[in-house]
Amino acid sequence: MLARPRPIVIVVLLALLAYAVALPFFGGPFALKLASRIMIVGIFVISLDLLIGVTGMVSFGHALYFGLGAYSLYFISPASAAANGFAAIPFAILLAGVAALVVGSVAVLTKGFYFIMVTLAFGQMGFSLFFDTKIAGGTDGAYINVRPIFSLGSQQLLNFSDRTVFFYFCLAALVLSYLFLLWLVRTPFGRVLQGIHHNDARMSALGFNTYAYKLASYVIAAAIAGFAGVLFASIDGYVAPELLGWRESGLAIMMVVLGGAGTLYGPLLGAILYSVVEETLKSSTELSAFFSIFMNTATAKWLGGIVANSWSMALGFFLIAAVLAAPKGIAGFIEKFAGEAKSAKPREIKPSAQTHEPAKAMQLEVENLTRAFGGLVAVNGVSVKFPPNKVHGIIGPNGAGKTTFINVLSGTLKPTQGNIRLESEEIGGERPHNVARRGLGRSYQRTNVILPFTARENCALAAQAKFPSPFRFSNKWQRDEEDQAVENALRASGIAPERADIKASNLSHGEQRQLEIAMLIASGAKLLLLDEPLAGMGPEETGRVTALLRELSADHTIVLIEHDMDAIFAAADTLTVLVEGKLLAHGTPEEIRSNAAVREAYLGEWGQEAKQ
Amino acid sequence: MDLVFIQLLNGVQYGLLIFLAASGLTLIFGIMGVINLSHGSFYMLGAYGALTLTAFTGDIFLALLIGVPLAFVFGIVIEWLFIRHLYDRDHLQQVLLTFALILIFNEAQKLLWGSYPHSVPIPSYLQGGVKISALLTYPYYRIAVAAFCVALALLMVFVIQKTRVGRIIRAGESNREMVEALGIDSRLLFRFVFAAGVALAATAGIVAAPLESVYPGIGEPILIISFVVVVIGGIGSVKGAFIGAILIGVADALGKVYFPAFSSSVVYALMAAVLIARPGGLFGRAA
Repeated sequence: MLARPRPIVIVVLLALLAYAVALPFFGGPFALKLASRIMIVGIFVISLDLLIGVTGMVSFGHALYFGLGAYSLYFISPASAAANGFAAIPFAILLAGVAALVVGSVAVLTKGFYFIMVTLAFGQMGFSLFFDTKIAGGTDGAYINVRPIFSLGSQQLLNFSDRTVFFYFCLAALVLSYLFLLWLVRTPFGRVLQGIHHNDARMSALGFNTYAYKLASYVIAAAIAGFAGVLFASIDGYVAPELLGWRESGLAIMMVVLGGAGTLYGPLLGAILYSVVEETLKSSTELSAFFSIFMNTATAKWLGGIVANSWSMALGFFLIAAVLAAPKGIAGFIEKFAGEAKSAKPREIKPSAQTHEPAKAMQLEVENLTRAFGGLVAVNGVSVKFPPNKVHGIIGPNGAGKTTFINVLSGTLKPTQGNIRLESEEIGGERPHNVARRGLGRSYQRTNVILPFTARENCALAAQAKFPSPFRFSNKWQRDEEDQAVENALRASGIAPERADIKASNLSHGEQRQLEIAMLIASGAKLLLLDEPLAGMGPEETGRVTALLRELSADHTIVLIEHDMDAIFAAADTLTVLVEGKLLAHGTPEEIRSNAAVREAYLGEWGQEAKQ
Repeated sequence: MDLVFIQLLNGVQYGLLIFLAASGLTLIFGIMGVINLSHGSFYMLGAYGALTLTAFTGDIFLALLIGVPLAFVFGIVIEWLFIRHLYDRDHLQQVLLTFALILIFNEAQKLLWGSYPHSVPIPSYLQGGVKISALLTYPYYRIAVAAFCVALALLMVFVIQKTRVGRIIRAGESNREMVEALGIDSRLLFRFVFAAGVALAATAGIVAAPLESVYPGIGEPILIISFVVVVIGGIGSVKGAFIGAILIGVADALGKVYFPAFSSSVVYALMAAVLIARPGGLFGRAA
């Protein structure tokens, strides 16, 4: 999870802040304007980092909202008078936010490459809306004649025509935007966004409506970009369609990558570096001064002139070199220099007084369930009942349809036909997060935890999914209950306390499998669907986990797929045998072992040996 | 009615042209997993190459004959210099590097050819056009371009269906990891696919040059529209790119007739509609 900035980062940021605060006292008007622009672009790119670095959505159309924010100032400004800043800024934020809600509702349906392309296309759509029509001057852009003034009644508070006032306003806006985003990503809401970044499917299986989360993050980022946009329009009082175009979006991505995605402060440094490099490359005198370090003055002057003349080509080569040499950006260097981060100390938890009483778990009933992929029927008319507080094993040869069966039960796949009832309520065809909310939790064949989070943070995410409205921005609400749930889950799943605050990527394979189960317990699921929880485990670990499953069945119903026959015959109360998508047999392990049909179709030699 | 008919013809012809650019783009992503933003630049370089080579040889088809192999070689060089470093990197870095390439190509174009628009002559034997009605004619050159694109599309079908390289490409369409698992020298395959994509984009730029003026930034609309086509058709699917390109070409042309103010938005609305119905595109594997 994104940590608070390290001391060295705080020092760098404070030094920059001090420099900015002092700038109006020694910088000329040009420096002040350039610095204002960099800070505004800084707000824009950290909002993009919320999407790219935090939620993991690479948007190639973020300039759409920046541009809309800028245009909103033109729309709201009277022809030859100043707009009131108290109206202009909220209007820009609203316009960008609403546009993002409309665009996002479609764009967020897609992932990865498609999302990049779709956001790019929508950005271009916004661009052509202004470029091809006569709205706001069309191709030529439009002028805003008077800068905004903040006034209450007749009282004038701030006037953006004053460069220094505007400069400090931008500085304050940048600091507040940064602190806001830093706070946001560390709330329970932000924790889920980071979880989605690393594992969308898992978050959905835990009960989070990932679509809604991603859309919310998209809208918030857009609103902040709109805020940056309205400030940008106040610099020169000029707006043009290019502000919405893909080049602006591309430049913003570039600054995010240059600075280091996913750190929030990195993109800010990226914006500064990019602007400084751009300004330097454009100036032949500064370039000549730089080159004269390596060569004689005449050659340096000649070379400086050539490079400045084609500065954007030089910028291109600089960017290629930067991405190849430092894929993690400036922040990557800083983090490397500062060394491995210490994980935060866990909070003291008041032990709960109440004693633990076994709870009744949930019953799952499947009736005539069928799932076909085109002509291939992977699950074929299966009817079976899993009573509560028992361990139910599902076995069968490879390709028997076991994983498809579980995927249909958990909502990952829709049933072609048939009913699934959880405690007599129909859940067939519901989306995974809704199924999870009703108390059915699942794990995956391949270990599926959020690797950059610690074990405790993984469980906290799961615990958070238990409460109905997960759109939460408070760290305090439900905190004791959740911490308690996390503690119980860690203890019940047998993860050693000293391992709980280590990143999941540094845990052993067995520990990661245990963590999966811990997450399900923390999520409050009453029925656990486990896909090969014992896969890849040694005999000792297998013994520990089967004992754990027996213990868990005191408060949970457990349905698991397993290939380790010795383990599952020992651990399960009932066994269900699937062969070629059909139910072959269902019964106690003894019944299954002596079932002739099962022996013939599947168990074969193993059954014989086990019987002897 | 005649206008609509002409626009329909233009739409199909434009669609065929975009198909050349989009097919390269979809293959480069489908097989190599690289998002190539600089694809439009190869279209632009093709158009400017046509300008110089036509001035040199006197005929656009001779320019094509020389230009396409040059573009293929250029593609190999660019792959070797830049693109090959991207295979193991994430989308973000691919976007960044290929975006930087655009800056470089645009500046190179400005240095070599300047900022003014130019026109490329239609060969004398293709001047004039077919009479459609008393007032309207349809230019021979546009018909020739459409026929050329169809021929090239058929050639691609042949290569993809009947040759060894084509088999690998088809395997890559459905599953990129499979290609790597099949024990094929992916470096060579990638270099070939990238160079072929560059050659296709440049071909589109060359034959399009006499249709409109050649100007800086000519490749950018093509890049964006090609991405829309790839998204509609489904990543990696050449068939999808073909159908998507024709759809987009026709939608764009009819949009110009019926919604002149919002013609370019029609294309994006079409894309949004396809994505809502099929988030993985018409012929794509699930997204």
